[in-house]
Amino acid sequence: MTLQTQNIWNGRIGTVTIGADRAHGGTRTLQYTLGGEQDLAAVGPGATQQRPLIAAEICDDPGIWSPIVNTFMGDTVNDTAGWAGTMESEYHPDIVRLHLTSTRKRNFKDFSGIPETVSGVLKSTGLPLIIEGSNDPSIDSEVYQKCGEASSGERVLLGTAEAGRYRSIAAAAMAYNHCIIAQSPIDINLAKQLNILLKEIGVPYDRILIDPYTGALGYGFEYSYSVMERIRYAALKGDQDLAMTMISAAPDSLNIREVREARDDETDRTAATWEFYTAFSAVIAGASIVCVRHPLAIPLLKSAIDSIWPHSAGREA
Amino acid sequence: MKNVEASIKSGNESLKTKISELAGDLGYEETAYHLPVTYALTGNAVKNADDARSAYQRTGENPFVACECYTASVTAENGKEPAPFTGFLPDADLRKMGYSLVDGSILGLALVAGSPPGADVVAGICRELQEKYMLTFLAGDVVGTLAGSGVKVGAEYRLVPLGSTPLRGIHFVDIIARVAMMFGGVSPGDPDRLISYARERAKAIVIVFPGLNDEEIAFIDALSILGIPILSMGGYEGGNWHLATPENVVREGMDQKGIKVTVTAIPIPMGCSPAFEGKSIRKEEMHVEFGGGRTPAFELLRVRPAADVTDGKITVIGPEIEDVPQGSALPLGIIVEVAGSAMKKEYEPVLERRIHNFVNYGEGSWHVAQRDLVWVRLSKEAVSKGVHIRHIGTLIAAKFRIDFPNLLDAVQVTLITDEQKVKSALLEAQKVYRERDQRIKDLRDTDVDLFYSCTLCQTFAPNHVCIITPERPALCGAITWLDGKTAFEISPSGANQPVPKGEVIDATTGEFEGVNRFVKKASHGEVERCCLYSIMENPMTACGCFECIAVMLPETNGFMIVTREFKGLTPSGMTFSTLAGTIGGGAQTPGFAGVSKNFILSDRFLQAEGGIERLVWMPGQLKEELSERLLKKLSDSGRQEFFDRIADETVTTTIEDLMDFLAKVHHPALDMPALI
Repeated sequence: MTLQTQNIWNGRIGTVTIGADRAHGGTRTLQYTLGGEQDLAAVGPGATQQRPLIAAEICDDPGIWSPIVNTFMGDTVNDTAGWAGTMESEYHPDIVRLHLTSTRKRNFKDFSGIPETVSGVLKSTGLPLIIEGSNDPSIDSEVYQKCGEASSGERVLLGTAEAGRYRSIAAAAMAYNHCIIAQSPIDINLAKQLNILLKEIGVPYDRILIDPYTGALGYGFEYSYSVMERIRYAALKGDQDLAMTMISAAPDSLNIREVREARDDETDRTAATWEFYTAFSAVIAGASIVCVRHPLAIPLLKSAIDSIWPHSAGREA
Repeated sequence: MKNVEASIKSGNESLKTKISELAGDLGYEETAYHLPVTYALTGNAVKNADDARSAYQRTGENPFVACECYTASVTAENGKEPAPFTGFLPDADLRKMGYSLVDGSILGLALVAGSPPGADVVAGICRELQEKYMLTFLAGDVVGTLAGSGVKVGAEYRLVPLGSTPLRGIHFVDIIARVAMMFGGVSPGDPDRLISYARERAKAIVIVFPGLNDEEIAFIDALSILGIPILSMGGYEGGNWHLATPENVVREGMDQKGIKVTVTAIPIPMGCSPAFEGKSIRKEEMHVEFGGGRTPAFELLRVRPAADVTDGKITVIGPEIEDVPQGSALPLGIIVEVAGSAMKKEYEPVLERRIHNFVNYGEGSWHVAQRDLVWVRLSKEAVSKGVHIRHIGTLIAAKFRIDFPNLLDAVQVTLITDEQKVKSALLEAQKVYRERDQRIKDLRDTDVDLFYSCTLCQTFAPNHVCIITPERPALCGAITWLDGKTAFEISPSGANQPVPKGEVIDATTGEFEGVNRFVKKASHGEVERCCLYSIMENPMTACGCFECIAVMLPETNGFMIVTREFKGLTPSGMTFSTLAGTIGGGAQTPGFAGVSKNFILSDRFLQAEGGIERLVWMPGQLKEELSERLLKKLSDSGRQEFFDRIADETVTTTIEDLMDFLAKVHHPALDMPALI
């Protein structure tokens, strides 16, 4: 199902390749080339349509993670590699997004543990990876160097660069041939500025995904929706500095009042549904990758995406 | 004393002999870049002596190619040099090194070669390089001398001993070549790209001690092609080698290559972030205030010679925070003195304008207006946490260094709170303001080929484009043509871009082919035409920051102007805010335009519609503010009686009464050609 286009656009979204299969020097079972759209999401001729991808989020320290997901997954969350494998085999996401939450601990020093975790996950799943490094500028340099090196050749998507701290992530992307997520706080101009900063430091545009940042549906998502729309309009009107694929994640969906206060037997359903609606709205706003944490959100998203994008439109290159 | 030019000649001869005598296979391990310098220059993988000779010929007997092939051949024959020498570094190490360079954890690369006179000298230089986050490579006797001084060498100490002879410094070049290919997108076989990458991106310097032989001199001198400054510690004359002393060599080299040590944290007892910019400090929250009409206050930024500015020096002249009770008002002079080799006098006003943002970044400091109209407050909360007046200076100095690392090397701030001293410094400041205004005053749109754009407001008005000309400042009044020019020089990819005027389409309406082209692109195709001197026909779009709005009043056949400060109803039947809501957001609205106050005084204002005599109404406050300059403009053309024909709110705020008034004073607009 696609709508007739209402506009004559003169721009086109750039492409970005995530994951590297054996033919491309990596070990992934598949790789994706995203982008290339010439119209809004779900609008215009089918040829330009890209099927959006679902990323399942996991972490290496469940102490800093949603208790709802932890309870649902049980012991699995204590084995990061096993968790990645389980997500792939049981819930079939398109991508695994690994959050190195262990680095968020005070005085984190276990830098040598990072390559172990990363290679463990790379072994247990054949899906392309997103790796989220540290949250603390003072350890960024070491953390991203390790992330980049440990996943060398796999063309992972490294997160998350912001205007104030992007050098280490950019360096890792350039040194080890990865892609990066450039996040700006719900502001089209800051998104553009960060892209220009990244370009100036030497990151090619075909390695950048924009994360316009979002809250959960009903908790600020509408602002993000509007910014995503404007970013896409600008890109389609020919602004090269914004013509990147977008990624969206709303982990807050699992912390909102409705989910916290749901009846015990309703918690999982409410959490997954809220994640689903937020993520699906982001898809309509133009996101090419949406990220969820509750495994039950994945089948919901899959069937909704299937209803708009026939499976053949996926770009498993 | 060695003569560099003579040595280069004979050095290249003997390198040539070395190449002709090469034999056997050569190559490095653990690299995908073969002999990297030769590979980058020629695109060919050298595997044996014949390949080496042909590459040497093809590059016009390049000394780097000679050194690289020779070194590779010696290594192939005798194996790697023993520890501590690293010899050729594998690609994996290079990636880490390149990572640190991009990441900013190392600021640049240095090569130190030759035979130092003593351990202390070289140890001092190497320690300074370490402290300044330079990654230093050592080649030749310098390694042994340094070992004797107790300085530890090795990659972990950012002191890498490449080899026992200065020629091993070629690895320094192969590192630059590989970084260019790995990180800079330089393709092998593209020497021009390699050179421009090295010149622009590679932050590298070389320091040479005496004792180099001719070949080594030829090699070191070739580094200057890559834009690497050569700093000599003596023993050489001629060539483009700069003589330096052990005390200043590191600073000189870093200055020449534009390598800056960056400031990161600002040592003040309050938060500092753009997040606090919008936070105001109300009277009841205020501990002390400056200016704002209560006391004399001003701010001034001047460029000074480097010797007169001590970076980070903050001076308070007069009472500090503990000398005055809560709720006081103190006079204030903020004098920012800056130095930097790239800094120009024309940048002063643009940088001075940043004081506003910087002071507002402070969690407990607040700033409005500019020049001698400034108004600054410090909050009770901030003062209770230990914030002093001097911290305003610390904040300003640090932010300037952080935001303009390429422009400023040193910033010092003087804060005057003594009333008499503020008053006398203020006179000096006002003289500077007048000089600055004078510079733009005599410049006409016809005198220049370039205008400047401003798209700063695209944050909230995504298709709005301001075109700034010498006679038409930005509609917010904050950016003149000179400021636009300066802002572009300082930040070439920023919001102010040059706009070539191109062919004049219509000199009266101010329509230029180049402006139209630019506006169409920058408005993402929304705006096709833009007439700079017209309000009726394709006027400039308006963001929302305009100082004033000019509005056509059909009944009067003229225009009224309303300022942001005027809160009441106007003869248009609307207030400023209603009008602003109607025309803002980046739309083109014929009959309405956002303008700055200074533009009203320009001959270009309403040029297409017949000039200032179309003006029928403006708020009394604006009339008073402009009176002196407006009267002068009018009397210069013998029209001074027109001034009193412009109505204000004391005459009327309704269109009916305005019509009566215009008829009574025989307002010229009534007899001008019909606007519609």
